[in-house]
Amino acid sequence: MIYLDYAATTPLDPRVLQIMLPLLTADGSFANPASTHGPGYKARAAVEKARAQVAALIGAEPGEIVWTSGATESNNLAIKGALEFRGVRNAHIVTSRTEHKCVLDTCRHLETQGVRVTYLKPGAEGVVSPEQVLEALTPETVLVSLMWVNNEIGVVQEVTRLAPLLRERGVLFHVDAVQAAGKLAIDLRAVPIDLLSVSAHKIYGPKGVGALYVRKKPRARLAPQMHGGGHEWGMRSGTLATHQIAGMGAAFEIAAAQLAADAEHLAGLRDLLWQRLQVLPRILRNGDPGRAAPHVLNVSFEGVEGEALRASLPGLAVSSGSACSSATQEPSYVLRALGRDDELANASLRFSLGRGTTAEQVEQAAAAVIEQVLWLRELSPIWVSDRVSGDA
Amino acid sequence: MNQIETNPFGYAEPIWERFTHPRHVGEFPAGTPGVVTGEAGSKAARSVLRLQLRFEGGRVADVRFRAYGCPSSIAVGAWIVEWSLGKTPAELAALRAAELRQALEIADDRAHCALLGEDALRAALTGFAATS
Repeated sequence: MIYLDYAATTPLDPRVLQIMLPLLTADGSFANPASTHGPGYKARAAVEKARAQVAALIGAEPGEIVWTSGATESNNLAIKGALEFRGVRNAHIVTSRTEHKCVLDTCRHLETQGVRVTYLKPGAEGVVSPEQVLEALTPETVLVSLMWVNNEIGVVQEVTRLAPLLRERGVLFHVDAVQAAGKLAIDLRAVPIDLLSVSAHKIYGPKGVGALYVRKKPRARLAPQMHGGGHEWGMRSGTLATHQIAGMGAAFEIAAAQLAADAEHLAGLRDLLWQRLQVLPRILRNGDPGRAAPHVLNVSFEGVEGEALRASLPGLAVSSGSACSSATQEPSYVLRALGRDDELANASLRFSLGRGTTAEQVEQAAAAVIEQVLWLRELSPIWVSDRVSGDA
Repeated sequence: MNQIETNPFGYAEPIWERFTHPRHVGEFPAGTPGVVTGEAGSKAARSVLRLQLRFEGGRVADVRFRAYGCPSSIAVGAWIVEWSLGKTPAELAALRAAELRQALEIADDRAHCALLGEDALRAALTGFAATS
């Protein structure tokens, strides 16, 4: 099995596991980090160390990191929290059609509460321009939410150019940076983003933990979404999962140390994969290649049916645009937003590479994809017709 | 086709076997005597099946098919042409989608794949009636 689905999730780094294990058992720091006794303080220290590690990767202060259960919760807290703090009456949000489902669904929920939402359509290359965002602003716009790197096509949005423009206009800026953290340099001291979501399991940390960066100067104010004991400065109640948090911290520290090397490794393999696949006629790379994150390559294959394509590659773990591989039974809405028709969106594969990916794996994966696409086209009466009519 | 030995997606075995090892793929050279062609489906519906049956002495002597679609619809094409060998038009006309579904263990949500097969075979038989 060749695993090329690192944008979905990554295996835990063994070094991270070693940090996590002693935080679970009686002979380690299992205590509640909110407890005011020796073991509690020890657990608290592990949490605060991790807070500093996470902050360091994104150029933040430790006090600006709020622990969550993952990016879905971070995105919910950022968007609903900001809107509810301000009051949803007459409020307006600007986001894009290619955001992660958890952002879109949160916005849809807020629409039921009376919030107006503008869903910007990106260009054919997947980029939402800062000018588009500015044009969509109204005096009621409370928040803009855009992802730094799109999870399906790997396009890097112009969030660094947009952030100061929104700051000038007094509009909060939330960025889902799940696919950017550990892949691109992020420095929130230099980029005035107000709220930024990150997750541990996309960069070799554990599943079930994430964080929301909440800027302190100027302070981004949020209404809590989880009520309780007032943990995390009242923004997110619930006993802190010390082992998960420490694991996230360790993963972020490793990511910071390896950022440049990881990015070079990933981009090299992504380019190799694209180069190999291009022996196939009539394939399309999705997303602007000039604004591509290092770890994602999304390709549409003309003339093959998506489910058959996926099924013909059982030895390859990749994400498919095929309706039948997703819970929603609809072709990728991201590719549809880029203007790909249902058929082409369906016949698309997202390859995402990771630290463990080798050039040999990429060569094998490319060879398998090429062989199966050629076979399915050979099998197809439509492709043969096209060939006879001289279109192919 | 390369060696696909595993079925991680959980397709029914008869579908998986024919999807991964289809026989009789292709078409007869133009002008081959006794050949009828039947096609069903559409590109928009993401499934097209084309069957070719070559009759000799009132029975199917050889077969070809091509398919564009999900593994189930590809398997339907492969199954029908195999099943057709040696049969008379009357025997072919008796095939119903229900029989196809049973033979290939096609699930309810893929019933349309079996109907695609029945439609393609009917189209071929219409062609047979027109030429004989």
